[in-house]
Amino acid sequence: MDIIVCMKWTPDTSEADLTVDKEGKDIRKDDLDFDMNDWDRFAIEEAVQLKEKVGGKVTAVAVAPEDAEGMLRECLARGADEAYQLWDDAFEGSDGYAVAAILAKFIKDRPHDLVLTGTLADDDCGGQIGGMVAAMLDIPGSTLVSKIQISDGKLTCHRELEGGLYESIEMDLPAVLSVATGLNEPRFVSVRAVRKVAALEIPTLELGDLGLEASAVGSDGSRIRIELMELPPEGEGAEIITGKAEEAAAKLAEILKEKGGIGS
Amino acid sequence: MKEIFVLAEHRKQQLRDTTWEALAAGRKLAEDLGAELTCLLLGSNVDAMADALAKEAPRVLVVEDPRLEPFHPDACMQTLKAILADRGPFMLVMGNSNALLDLAPGLSVTLDAALATDCFKFEVRDGKPLAWRQMYSYKVNTLVSFKDAERIVATLRGGAFAFTPSGAAVATVEKVASPLGGTTFRRRFVGYVEAEKGDVDVASADIIVSVGRGIGDEPDMEMFESLAEAMGGVLACSRPIVDKNLLPKYHQVGTSGVEVKPKVYLALGISGAFQHVGGIKGSPLLVAVNKDPRAPIFRVAQYGIVADLNQVVPALTDKIKQLKG
Repeated sequence: MDIIVCMKWTPDTSEADLTVDKEGKDIRKDDLDFDMNDWDRFAIEEAVQLKEKVGGKVTAVAVAPEDAEGMLRECLARGADEAYQLWDDAFEGSDGYAVAAILAKFIKDRPHDLVLTGTLADDDCGGQIGGMVAAMLDIPGSTLVSKIQISDGKLTCHRELEGGLYESIEMDLPAVLSVATGLNEPRFVSVRAVRKVAALEIPTLELGDLGLEASAVGSDGSRIRIELMELPPEGEGAEIITGKAEEAAAKLAEILKEKGGIGS
Repeated sequence: MKEIFVLAEHRKQQLRDTTWEALAAGRKLAEDLGAELTCLLLGSNVDAMADALAKEAPRVLVVEDPRLEPFHPDACMQTLKAILADRGPFMLVMGNSNALLDLAPGLSVTLDAALATDCFKFEVRDGKPLAWRQMYSYKVNTLVSFKDAERIVATLRGGAFAFTPSGAAVATVEKVASPLGGTTFRRRFVGYVEAEKGDVDVASADIIVSVGRGIGDEPDMEMFESLAEAMGGVLACSRPIVDKNLLPKYHQVGTSGVEVKPKVYLALGISGAFQHVGGIKGSPLLVAVNKDPRAPIFRVAQYGIVADLNQVVPALTDKIKQLKG
């Protein structure tokens, strides 16, 4: 089975102190650490586990600049057979639609029984890529997939609905599945595993290699445009309890007691 | 924009809250853009739901087909493509729910429309709609335009658009013949599956101590257990804690986890992404402790402490034990 996994290289913003840059259309990223998008880590793991069960080949791919090569090499260390980096200066400024178009073109040109990716990315919080790629390839797809089973060429999966409810669905292959975090336990990558793949080539495919037009990618090929970015005003919302940890904890305990936050 | 369409979401013959929120957003957009508003209801045996919508929307358009019930994204996509084929310019809004996450992105490609997901506010400039959404761990507000798109699809942040029933409209319900013909789909609904139930029922707890990513990679879970016990509450969590196998799934609060309705909710190291906060219903006393002063949780909490959990939690546990005597 040929499995293609779409990966994203994202800044870790969960605990970082963020500031908006001078143009006001993005945040400053020079001080941020970049890493594999959390959701995609589960996608590459699932691909490798499926390969271990039913055999086949895993290809990791990312629309990402040079710096992201380490992430693709990590995919190889995690068990992918090959990795491709799709990058061209023309890709700069692509929105979800343009990124999906680049990925769809890459996938269309090679064998694919299953395409995996993460449902969301923590940078744009869009949740668009899987569904768009499926529509562009005219194959079925689903998101928030929390369990995947493949037997006799038949795909069954569970996807998360709200309030602890899941939906069980069947799909014909090929299909695009955007996974939920937690559907597996991503393996630990040893130094040895990384060393083993150190010499493997990770080809970079540019605009022309993919047979794409410049007008279909980057900001020209995008359907939405960021006009403004701003941090919500500080001090909006919660009343902040100040003081040293013990003092703050003591004040909070009083508030909890008063408001019924201490039960028997 | 000439027309605003609102897609109704329903499950097991019940309209979901997202439908009313989408209608609220649609009403405002129609007013600001001077556009016509139509509610789209796709399903099977939907008369009761159509009647409810007809009281609130100026126009209701219904397509009935057994293949549209239960929700099937591909059947919806084909139906919407057919009934919207000759329309435009238009904007179609719907909830950013887990179910509709399987529809909106593919639909936007099929309709050749621009897409913005998880929008929490709209504004109109020069007769064109713009959408506010969040990026970067939901910490940064972003205004996006749709360039010159004549077709727009937007999904809506749960809880961001408050619906006020007017009950004034008496729309005629227009039924359109299903365009699906003999179409078969490469995706098939098998059934609903209920999540595994555990020994702790966070859904019915009055006091909840909930932990998130901010507790670190090797947290002292007993420290949090002790606090929950001292407070007479239960321990819950956000998604990353379950992903790391620190607590079983039935402890997870959120849109993909358990919905809770406590009196008190103490959020420890929880950033406050909407997928988590969306699972907290009612209006509990919400208190957050987080070392990031910009964590979105502080915008929905009533009280907050910006500090290291390892210092605050043991101190709080001791203090509560003292107060209990």
